[in-house]
Amino acid sequence: MKGASTLLMVAALAAGIANADVPPESQRNFVSCPIVRDTATVPCWLSEYEGELYYLGIQTDVSADFDPPFLGHRVLVEGTVSDQPRICGGVVLDPVVIAPILDFDASCNTILPAEDRYTVPFAPRPPGPSGGRLAFQRDPVPEEVLEPPYEPREYLIHYDFDMLIMGRHAPILGDILDYATKIGARGIEIIGSSGATLLSDGSVMAEDTSIALKRANEIAEILKSGGLGDLGFAVAATAGQEESDGIEDWKSRRAVIRVVP
Amino acid sequence: MLVGCTASSVLGQTPAADHWWAPASGLPLPAEARYPNAYGELGILNTAGDYPTEGHAFFEPIGSNGRACVTCHQPASAMGLSTELIQQRWRETNGNDPLFAAIDGRNCPHLPANDPEAHSLLLERGLIRIFLPWPPRGPGGNAIEPEFTIEVVRDPTGCNTHAEYGLESDEPTISVYRRPRMAANLKYVTAADFGVTPFSIKDARAASRDPETGRLVNMNMLADAREPTLRTQAISAALTHLETGRAPSDAQLAQIIDFELQIYAAQAQHVGAGNLEEPGGPPALGPHAMLEGETGVLGNNTTRYVFPMGDAWTSLERTGDAEADARRDFRESVQRGHDVFFFRTFWISDSMHINNIGLGNPIKRTCSTCHGMHMTGMDTANGFVDVGSTNLPWATENEQNPWTDKKPEMPLFRLTCDNAHAPHPFFGRVIYSQDPGRALITGRCNDIGSIVMQQFRGIASRAPYLTNGSAKNLRELIDFYDRRYNIRYSEQEKLDLENFLSTL
Repeated sequence: MKGASTLLMVAALAAGIANADVPPESQRNFVSCPIVRDTATVPCWLSEYEGELYYLGIQTDVSADFDPPFLGHRVLVEGTVSDQPRICGGVVLDPVVIAPILDFDASCNTILPAEDRYTVPFAPRPPGPSGGRLAFQRDPVPEEVLEPPYEPREYLIHYDFDMLIMGRHAPILGDILDYATKIGARGIEIIGSSGATLLSDGSVMAEDTSIALKRANEIAEILKSGGLGDLGFAVAATAGQEESDGIEDWKSRRAVIRVVP
Repeated sequence: MLVGCTASSVLGQTPAADHWWAPASGLPLPAEARYPNAYGELGILNTAGDYPTEGHAFFEPIGSNGRACVTCHQPASAMGLSTELIQQRWRETNGNDPLFAAIDGRNCPHLPANDPEAHSLLLERGLIRIFLPWPPRGPGGNAIEPEFTIEVVRDPTGCNTHAEYGLESDEPTISVYRRPRMAANLKYVTAADFGVTPFSIKDARAASRDPETGRLVNMNMLADAREPTLRTQAISAALTHLETGRAPSDAQLAQIIDFELQIYAAQAQHVGAGNLEEPGGPPALGPHAMLEGETGVLGNNTTRYVFPMGDAWTSLERTGDAEADARRDFRESVQRGHDVFFFRTFWISDSMHINNIGLGNPIKRTCSTCHGMHMTGMDTANGFVDVGSTNLPWATENEQNPWTDKKPEMPLFRLTCDNAHAPHPFFGRVIYSQDPGRALITGRCNDIGSIVMQQFRGIASRAPYLTNGSAKNLRELIDFYDRRYNIRYSEQEKLDLENFLSTL
């Protein structure tokens, strides 16, 4: 799928329809190899772009918002340069969203050894056993009391570049199942979208538009197999892609799921 | 390394000295039994007390081939089946025990009976043939369209290319070969109170449910998690391994399930460490600890621990008595081995359902990251991962070169993932595997080679290890992981880890 996207990007550039603008100065959107830097505690994840090293995040656990990238693959980085002190030698991007690129890249294989000068000031859990909680474990939320008339609810799923559903989407799928079950929903409406990101070099990196419908269909199938098979499903895809401006373009890689009472 | 065993101190009435429990033997299973192994003694604890087995569905040959559940779930093998016991039974019966039934006790049913070559995978690796429809079927029997094609690259057993039993037969079937699992400590294996959610955190697919109650299950049974409950597993096992022709009765199923849930197994006595259940000792050890332990607890933390050892075996004072001090030396080694298991970090890489679930590739973690279930070392839920036990390049196989007559033992498949789905993030679109594992149930490319973790308890009685029986002993098991993840254990770490594992 990545191959198709690359072709699309090249074709768009050749046709002169690439976005002429570039992202704001504070934004860093690029594709590069991820780099792991070991430390005395947890490793941190970096990436280099135009001679500068950027800090993406640290290894924690599945409760973190930051999912570290994969060596062996380049990574799409969409982040904002912050004024925080460097971490692990890298300029801190915050917020930052990253997405591994599907194609293999054997050159992305750098693990830097721990050095005393690089420490992680923020380590909510060590590299082994935790202290008893997940790093970002949320406090329990009281069970919601639902009474008719019920309202439609929308849920949003964001995707990695050129990707479909992943393990981290399990909780939101569970929320959809829970709400639809509790209110005895009549149906589920799903609209899938493909996205495009304006990179810092001015080019646009676009997903294959066909993935929009795949995303919607996949969610429908998963929800059906998860216990909502008796509901009516309406599945659609947005045509084309939203114009990318380099700011939170990752939000365009999404599916909107609406639970209809 | 410790080899050889001390004298057995069997409690109560147990089967004959050879420790093979034949179906319909009529012997009672005592409330507590001990069975010798190379490291000491295994303890079997039966919470129902002295237990009659005559007429009991777990112990009676309820099918047509003379086997019972106990055939492959032997008390002396921690309710599993060791090759030591298999080979002993072969010698005793000249290969005529029901264990060696054609259906799955031979490498393939068409092969000749009583020929050790025809039973080589069972005799040498402790493997039972598991035959599954291809393409896979969903819970409702519907065909699942797989994301990959399968080609047979090597077929040493002849089964996967056989006209009647193979992938090109009228009922296309794939044969893979797996170790029987422990039918003990199952309250842990079936616990669904941690990490069990409607959609799996591994892949966001709908998790399995009990077909009778609709309740979520933890998908920790069998190598491929294809059976959701003890009941469905018992039915499936009866129909295939026991050749019952029809499902056991409700009464028989209730007997089997009740029995399975009342059996606990763990090492109880150790030639190096002594009594593993002595008062004040490590709270993780021994079958009574398994009975009393809490289920559904994530132990990958320093509050509950996977195997809570306490500090009883840390920095022990020496007495000057050689025997007592040797025991203390060994106990300290066990404690160090625990710490290797729990705290020794290494880079875990390219392992599906570990590195792709939000942790990154690689992650710097420890054994207990994946083996995190309190008291067993399984995963708490959805325990299928690819550690390379069956996927190339990590799976163990006889080398081929001009200087050996050894031939490959395991089948080898080439699986080609289609272009309609994302490629496997660590292996791409073409994967070679001895056993595609979970993927044979889901048809998903990302599941190729993912195998449900097994528990660690009673491990000294259950060699060989890994789902394909490729690790003949605990050292080979440790060496497999050392190679796979480039851990670079020191010799002392390996020894300590082996000593620790042998006390579980």
